[in-house]
Amino acid sequence: MTLLVGAFTIGLILALLSLGVLVSFRIFGLPDITADGSITLGAAVTATLCAQGINPILATAAGMLSGALAGAFTGILHTKFKINALLAGILVMTALYSVNLRVMGRSNIPLMQHTTLGTWGENFGHTLLGEGGLMVFGWRVGAGEVALLLGSCAIAVLMALALFAFFRTHLGTAMRATGDNPQMIRALGANVETHIILGLALSNGLIALGGSLLAQYQGFADAQMGIGMIVWGLASVIIGEALTGGRSLGLTLVGAIMGSVLFRLLVAVALRWGLNPNDLKLITALFVFLALILPGLLKKFRRAPVQSAAVAGSQL
Amino acid sequence: MLTLTGLRKTFNPGTVNEVRALQGVDLTIEDGSFVIVLGMNGSGKSTLLNAVAGTFIVDTGRIELAGHDVTRWPEHRRAKLIGRVFQNPFSGTAPNMSIAENFALAARRGQSRGLGFALSKDLMAPLRDRVASLKMGLEDRLDNAIGSLSGGQRQALTLLMATWLKPELLLLDEHTAALDPKSGDQVITLSEEVIGRDKLTTLMVTHSMQQAVSLGDRLLMMHRGRVIHDFSGSAKKRLRPEDLIDLFDEIRRRELLDESAATMLQSLYV
Ligand SMILES: Nc1ncnc2c1ncn2[C@@H]1O[C@H](COP(=O)(O)OP(=O)(O)O)[C@@H](O)[C@H]1O
Ligand SMILES: [Mg+2]
Repeated sequence: MTLLVGAFTIGLILALLSLGVLVSFRIFGLPDITADGSITLGAAVTATLCAQGINPILATAAGMLSGALAGAFTGILHTKFKINALLAGILVMTALYSVNLRVMGRSNIPLMQHTTLGTWGENFGHTLLGEGGLMVFGWRVGAGEVALLLGSCAIAVLMALALFAFFRTHLGTAMRATGDNPQMIRALGANVETHIILGLALSNGLIALGGSLLAQYQGFADAQMGIGMIVWGLASVIIGEALTGGRSLGLTLVGAIMGSVLFRLLVAVALRWGLNPNDLKLITALFVFLALILPGLLKKFRRAPVQSAAVAGSQL
Repeated sequence: MLTLTGLRKTFNPGTVNEVRALQGVDLTIEDGSFVIVLGMNGSGKSTLLNAVAGTFIVDTGRIELAGHDVTRWPEHRRAKLIGRVFQNPFSGTAPNMSIAENFALAARRGQSRGLGFALSKDLMAPLRDRVASLKMGLEDRLDNAIGSLSGGQRQALTLLMATWLKPELLLLDEHTAALDPKSGDQVITLSEEVIGRDKLTTLMVTHSMQQAVSLGDRLLMMHRGRVIHDFSGSAKKRLRPEDLIDLFDEIRRRELLDESAATMLQSLYV
């Protein structure tokens, strides 16, 4: 049960990652892989500040802002210096590896001894539910775990709602149009470059917030923790699209959260069944590969008989 | 008023692909004037419209629009003054966004876009009326993605979007060329209506002789990056499709002459 609750909580925290990936990959159509660096940056900044006894809320906000800054950098490289989006992301991601080590001063910061949002959540749970915890289907779940699960859920839902509202404002609508048809929105007076920079800042701000919360949940920040995260985020987005059909803005946002949670549960189950954790990234990459080519393949298989039927029809 | 002085634009200068697309265009277009632009393929019509819209910055020359020197303004800044409809029906609308959202974007052309709700009531009521006036049945489908509509419907909506806020200048670049004849006629009728009602200063490129003689109050003929004929007033009114065909024939003859002269010179000196 603890395993399940843990998987749920991490899934909800990393829903921020998939929301960020949704913004860059789907709404802007930009393959931005700054994520690997910005998720670690969020964790590194927050952990460093928490270790110095700074208020966790401030530390979390600082982590998020630093990620937004990193995203803005990628956006500037892409728009002002005309560097391919993928390469711009790789450059910033690589640079961030050094930045993160500089920020932390070493490769790992443990947070067990320091006050974080995680500690606050656990304390809150204990005062609310007592030390005994909660019985769920006959299993005992710690009060702290429940509080963290609910807290992560609240943050993910809040962020999704905020995104939903933002993308329906004048500015947000114009930013979506930037991804849909830049020529059109430029002819309507929008500065496409500014929109892309803003969009990547938003995306990586969300991702860094995910990293910041993850560090506070698991009790440490590590320079390696971001490796492969972009693929995990993409996998979540793809699962979410399969679950919801991804037609409208609201559905894609809900899908990103559901996808992230489901993906974490699948990973937890697979590990429980004895999957070697070292193989996890390979399997995730294979999964994303399949998800990327499957729709095309399915279409081919479906179209072939339809086409011949149409030809037969027209010959009659 | 639009004033162009000595506009020049060369693409890929200094390479084998060098194209002198504009070779000195001087032009003044009065407010409320509806100008037709004709010319053979590659004569520089689209380049002229793009230069005015700011798709690129001209090499030399000056562009003044509504009292502003916009020569160095980027495209998105000029959009405050200019409404555009492109030849490709896919170019003017955001396909995955709803009809209403596309109009919400157009209703803020060239203005700051804050954090107000895009689909406000102030927009939806007039939008439904205006779309209903198209008689295409689209007023009940304002929430549908615009990409699900036909090319003709999209071009009609793009035209409404471009003129939702009255532009100082409307640019139409063969905006019916990609449509079937019936939708093309519909969009032309709508264009006439909108331009006449709001007295819009308009530059319209077309391939159709019929449109060229029946529409507008002035006609420009372009050739090799220059304006070589300019009819207005009664001269424009008197033009018949046959006159235009004669003009095109004359251009072709001149082209041949140029070519034979070039071969002659080549055989003599090379
Ligand atoms: N972006 C561009 N790059 C290079 N050449 C261009 C570009 N745009 C137009 N041209 C060239 O400029 C000439 C004029 O083109 P255009 O203005 O599109 O002609 P049209 O009168 O048919 O609209 C053509 O030879 C065309 O190939
Ligand atoms: Mg053209």
